[in-house]
Amino acid sequence: MATLQASELTLAYDKVTIVDELSLDIPTGEVSIVVGANGCGKSTLLRALSRLLKPAGGKVLLDGSDIHSKPAKEVAKTLGLLPQSPNAPDGITVRELISRGRYPHQGLFKRFSAEDEAAVNRAMELTGTTILAERSVDELSGGQRQRVWIAMALAQETDLLLLDEPTTFLDVAHQLEVLDVVSELNRTRGITVVIVLHDLNLAARYADYLVALKDGKIYAAGHPNEVVTEKTVKAVFGMPSRVIPDPVAGTPLVLPIGRHRVLRTEAVLAERGIFRGEAPVNEPQALSEGLDQESAVIEAEVAAIEKAVEEADQNTPRPAREHLQTLAFSTTVLRSQQLSPSFRRLTLGGKDLEDFGTNSHPLDMRIKLLLPPAGGFGVSKEIASLRPDALTSPADQLGWYQRWLAIDTDKRGYMRTYTVRAFREAGHRDNLGDTPELDIDFVLHGEVVDGKLQGGPATEFGDQAKEGDSLLLLGPNKALSDASYGGIEFRPGAASRIVLAGDETAAPAICAILESLPANVTGHALIEVPETTDILGTTTRSGISVQWLTRGSAEHGSLLQDAVRRTVAIPAAGVVQTNAEPEDVDVDANILWETGQAQSAPFYAWIAGEAGTVKEIRRYLVREAGVDRKQVAFMGYWRRGKTEN
Amino acid sequence: MSVKTMEPNTTEARAAEPKTVSCEAPAASAQAGKNAAARRAGRTRGTAIAMLLALLAFSAAYIFWGRDRLPAGEILQVLSGQQVPGTSFIIMDDRLPRLAVGALAGAGLGISGALFQRWLGNPLASPDVIGVGYGSSAAAVLAMLVLGYTDWRANVFSLAGGLLVAAVIYWLSASGKRTGSRLILAGLAIGAMLQALIQYLLSRAEINAAADAFRWLTGSIASSTWEQASILGLGLGVLSAFVLPLVLRQLKLLELGDDTAAALGLNVSRARVLLVFLAVAMGALPIAVTGPLAFIAFLAGPITAALTRGGINILLAGLTGATLVVVANFFAANLFADISLPVGVITGAFGAPFLIWVLVRANSTGNGG
Repeated sequence: MATLQASELTLAYDKVTIVDELSLDIPTGEVSIVVGANGCGKSTLLRALSRLLKPAGGKVLLDGSDIHSKPAKEVAKTLGLLPQSPNAPDGITVRELISRGRYPHQGLFKRFSAEDEAAVNRAMELTGTTILAERSVDELSGGQRQRVWIAMALAQETDLLLLDEPTTFLDVAHQLEVLDVVSELNRTRGITVVIVLHDLNLAARYADYLVALKDGKIYAAGHPNEVVTEKTVKAVFGMPSRVIPDPVAGTPLVLPIGRHRVLRTEAVLAERGIFRGEAPVNEPQALSEGLDQESAVIEAEVAAIEKAVEEADQNTPRPAREHLQTLAFSTTVLRSQQLSPSFRRLTLGGKDLEDFGTNSHPLDMRIKLLLPPAGGFGVSKEIASLRPDALTSPADQLGWYQRWLAIDTDKRGYMRTYTVRAFREAGHRDNLGDTPELDIDFVLHGEVVDGKLQGGPATEFGDQAKEGDSLLLLGPNKALSDASYGGIEFRPGAASRIVLAGDETAAPAICAILESLPANVTGHALIEVPETTDILGTTTRSGISVQWLTRGSAEHGSLLQDAVRRTVAIPAAGVVQTNAEPEDVDVDANILWETGQAQSAPFYAWIAGEAGTVKEIRRYLVREAGVDRKQVAFMGYWRRGKTEN
Repeated sequence: MSVKTMEPNTTEARAAEPKTVSCEAPAASAQAGKNAAARRAGRTRGTAIAMLLALLAFSAAYIFWGRDRLPAGEILQVLSGQQVPGTSFIIMDDRLPRLAVGALAGAGLGISGALFQRWLGNPLASPDVIGVGYGSSAAAVLAMLVLGYTDWRANVFSLAGGLLVAAVIYWLSASGKRTGSRLILAGLAIGAMLQALIQYLLSRAEINAAADAFRWLTGSIASSTWEQASILGLGLGVLSAFVLPLVLRQLKLLELGDDTAAALGLNVSRARVLLVFLAVAMGALPIAVTGPLAFIAFLAGPITAALTRGGINILLAGLTGATLVVVANFFAANLFADISLPVGVITGAFGAPFLIWVLVRANSTGNGG
């Protein structure tokens, strides 16, 4: 196969530099697409690559040697070009036109041979133009005509095919028709294809290798998934946009944000008294930057306190709230509300909660509930010393968890992790009491035996809790915690498209995440619950579409897996960037808990719930859909047929 | 709550589309295609035969019929090689050389015009419209009136003048680009200038020489000789035998546009220069002998295209040019009882309306100048 490279290529027309010291390796056997704004030099680059333009500096290397050192006719046997607006002579027939592609293979005296005839027939077959053969090119539709031109370039029988905006002036169906023909040729005959295209979405869909040009330089190059980001679109086309996975092909899909339409929508909403979040729609970065600044102030405060604490004597007993990040809060059940057969919301309140919080959204508050054992509750001294007012020294606290774990479960009870659905300070308009209160959604999964629900300790507690029952919980100390307090591991980074997926155990967390998301985020939330009645009301100001899946008699997790597959479709053939198989995690022996890392990719997925299901989804996303593991958090909350200690 | 998202489309499903689009009754369509191709070939053959027949018929009519009719028997005797006093002279030294020069000149002009028209994809781009013809005329007038050349040297001047003007127009119209309309406009301007030059030369010349030159400028084959016929035949013959086949081959690529041609391995600038040289030479050689026969170069190509309902066939355009001159010659000699017109008057009178028709038609299809 022929190779094509540009090496420090400088291209100029009349001393005006169009392309500046550009180096590019065209991947052999793949479809490379060059995109860029008008006048960025993409067509000029293509002309230089096809020997039509002599570079002002640098070289184009065809099979390793300077393309201008070879005779034109030799080059034409390896490299074919379809220029932007080729000219069909009046009255020429399709076959005649395609036959002209054989010129480089004919000598002055060697006339049209059987070999030429065969090449022309092949080219017509591949492009589906055989039945047009004897028709006049003038009478053809735009798409047919473009296929005929491609056939002409194919009849040249080259390893490399360069096309300059082959879809210009075609309607969308014909654009696809042309690109399909080209990518089919690439797949079936292994021809290396280079296309200059200005439709970014089609480019992302059809390219194996995407090159974004800006002002005659390569701004970004690589797999479309890497290249097509909101940042690149903004930089290359100067246009704010959203980038979401194409629901058809799984490749990035650019949705331009036109000022007019957005303004009108906002105006209409404002007229009805609806104001959406302040998050500027066109600047996805702005929001997180704003948060960063805010939390920077908080961080500075926290650091000051921490420093003071460190400097203090490690053995002097002081109130726990002054030096412990995690406190034990004594609460009582204020309300119990059956949300659905599988969900029960308990509202807990108490004076202790005045010290509760992370100074940020409750989303980041993952808390531990201390569930009483069957025979009643004896608060251990380990837990008691965590109360806000308890006098304790940092030295006392070392190893409290191990000591607590060592106590018999019948005495200490159980610790379970829960998500705070809402936290209301005293005086909040929805808080009628005089102490702070918080909501926790209990997931009830178990079996009803003799009219009583039997399941894990949390299920049973949630089912039976009455107003006035007390409950201890461990949570963040408001004075010493910030947003970095162990939350529910939701770290989308700069992602603007998010997929949330989980079963009923993850539903409260997902609902909490949804409530916290800003308006400029889009994506899907997929929640599998046991029955239709378990579908909870969710609110989000983001562009996430929420899909509740009711399991019914289906196997646990099967609906969720299917939905994830649909939502994050396998990219179209050829654009898959598969990672290696993720290393196996034995979900029966270990906890599957991979949290994504801080990253700047536009896509982020958060998957939680039953470990076996999460593992399957993890395998699909990483291996089949080619999603980077850094972009996904995988959390096995529980394992079917196995209870926690 | 969103409903189920769309099923991920597969490439197979999309790939199948174009095939089904173009598959309406393939057999019937292919059959129709074959028939269409056969019809097209038939039309080209038919046009060639009709042209040839017209050429022969009007040649015969000119020799046998019309004003100053000679006894047919004597003419046949002359044609079979016998000497018949009077008749021999009229036939062998007047009518036959006139037909030979006319047919050759027409062929040269027809090919010249058709080459330009096909290369630039515009019927208006013929040498007589774009000023190349005026270049040849002006140079020939210069040679005749100022230098006194009337033999082959006038041909050389005519050729040089045509090439020079072609080069200037080419340069004016931004050289490399395939800009038909700019080339035509530049040509019109140059043509007007050259006409002024010709008028000036005529006004400065002696009255007799000026009258000769003037008749020449109208385009006439009345004073044709065998010598002229052989110069023309030799010149055109050499060009047709050695240069034309190569140019025809390269024209097939050039007319696809410069980029396409270059991508197919053609050295475009060289091919373009060769084409312009050939086209100018094919036109300039006849002009030096007969004067600019108005509109022959312009008419021949579009007439063949109209008759074959296809593209311009260069060789057929040559044949058509020859026929046009022979037909015009017959009418020039016989239209009026008392006076014999220069053939250029006839081609001019009938060519002008055709030019208007082409302009109107070009405007409506959008490929005009």
